[in-house]
Amino acid sequence: MLADAIRAEGFRLSKNRTALFWSVLFVPLLTVAIGAVTQFVLKANVSKLAADADTPPGLRQMMTSGGELDLARALADAAGDLANPMVLLFVLIGAATLYAGDYRWETWRLISARNRRTNLLLGKLAVVALLSAAAMLFMLVAALAENLMRAVVFDRTLTFGPGGDVLADFFAGFGLSWLRILQFTMMGLLAAVMTRSLLAALFVPLVVGVAQFFSPNMLAPMGIMPDAWLAMLLNPGAAADAVGAMAKGGAAAAALPDGIGPKAWLSLALWTFGPLAAALAWFGRQDLSKE
Amino acid sequence: MTAVIETRGLTKTYGTVRALEGLDLTIPRGGVYGVLGPNGAGKSTLFRILLGLIRPSDGEARVMGGPVNEVSHMRRMGSMIETPRFPPFMTARQVLRWLALEHGVGGQTDIPHWLQRVGLTEAADRRVRGFSVGMMQRLGVAAALMSRPELVILDEPTSGMDPPGIQEMRALIRSLATDDGVTVVLASHQLLEVQRVCDRVAILNKGRLVREGAVSELTAVGERLRLSVTQKDQVLEVLGAKGLAEGDAVLADIRRDEGPALIRALAAAGVDIHEARWVGTDLEAIFFTETGAIQTPEADHAG
Repeated sequence: MLADAIRAEGFRLSKNRTALFWSVLFVPLLTVAIGAVTQFVLKANVSKLAADADTPPGLRQMMTSGGELDLARALADAAGDLANPMVLLFVLIGAATLYAGDYRWETWRLISARNRRTNLLLGKLAVVALLSAAAMLFMLVAALAENLMRAVVFDRTLTFGPGGDVLADFFAGFGLSWLRILQFTMMGLLAAVMTRSLLAALFVPLVVGVAQFFSPNMLAPMGIMPDAWLAMLLNPGAAADAVGAMAKGGAAAAALPDGIGPKAWLSLALWTFGPLAAALAWFGRQDLSKE
Repeated sequence: MTAVIETRGLTKTYGTVRALEGLDLTIPRGGVYGVLGPNGAGKSTLFRILLGLIRPSDGEARVMGGPVNEVSHMRRMGSMIETPRFPPFMTARQVLRWLALEHGVGGQTDIPHWLQRVGLTEAADRRVRGFSVGMMQRLGVAAALMSRPELVILDEPTSGMDPPGIQEMRALIRSLATDDGVTVVLASHQLLEVQRVCDRVAILNKGRLVREGAVSELTAVGERLRLSVTQKDQVLEVLGAKGLAEGDAVLADIRRDEGPALIRALAAAGVDIHEARWVGTDLEAIFFTETGAIQTPEADHAG
């Protein structure tokens, strides 16, 4: 039954080329285009500086020496940055289309008798999770392309060393980025169900995300000095950073307050499953006569 | 008589408005069942409750022997409520595929067959954003039927269709009931259509059931023998108080079993009978009598 809902949502999304383009392909294409322009502009400036007689010889040597470029490390770093605002905004466009589409097109009446309401929402969520993963994979491809261009333009030697640490960093970064994106899409799900509005499904998570980011800082002027735990509870982004630091280990992990790990996970779980549970409960009792 | 739909004390209120008020209705398995009523009578509210789109304020509704919202029962039912809408970027074929997947019958549905049956074969690969209301309606009917349900609920299935389309839809609905054994429950404002296609009807007004029964029985009430004769005055004299002139014909207010004897007697008396047929009250007359007879609570209060 849940599998039916996932298949049906996946099929419908596969026919929505506009949503697929904007949510999966646009940001990676833009990233590659901007990356290419940036590399060539940088190269032109570097060449100009290198040709300038006034440039100190040491700097000239540094600019023209090339060196190595480790693709595995570059991809691991890119994986940790996949939940950036650009990727998030455009994934949310696809997610909002999925979550609010049946209200917008008045199609709940066509499907609500064919499956359980819980399955219908979880099916959408599963497809959004796949959509997010696809967008992230395309972003990694874009990062790969950008680094290859950098190597070619700046005559750098490519290496690929997916050692234990690099691989762990890659998967930790990818997993946490995915979780952060899903947290936002679940807020979008709750907003869509409560307001029946596509715009709300798109913008409410963004506004909440900005508020989460600034809320710990906003408490200080109010006379509340948030400790690390309160800051994480308000801002799951800080919790994700803490979990990421713990996964990487080293100095960043050592700088974390004692016992913060479980609290960080609790914050992530609350912000992940809280909106989902609320959306399921609301939708279970919702009047669908007027989508 | 096995029931496919049963409601007991079904009530739905929207704020101070009572859309349904203690509705007790049993719809038997088999045939075509019409639900009639003026705007605001509660037809669409009833259908929405049966489809699990809204919850009743009070009372109970059962579909296919199980409670509403139990998907195993609901999946044995197909439906089309008002003018259906579809994701505009999909083609008709894709819409049916999507709904078949949602229904769990993705691999078993013969989509070309259903497109052909509702007359959409040529438009199968066109995006629905360019469809007319009538085409949407046809696609909605195909979507309701393609999972081969035992019960189909259709709200205004011919709305927006041209006369040939209405005729095709009428034939389709009748064949579903007679050839496929599907129970069809439909709501329509086209009373003549309902009379032609339905076996039984329920008339709702102000959220209440005001009349229910087989169309043949309802229209048989007040049934008269209509005689087209040359000697009209002579026939009226024979019939006395039971005779009534209607244009060139005479209406005889007699029982069916008295008909043959009357015809024999008139023929023996030398009356030229050109045509003799039984005429009943049509559904339209019953509809207006029943829905006009109910006093609104406001009117009662005011009175």
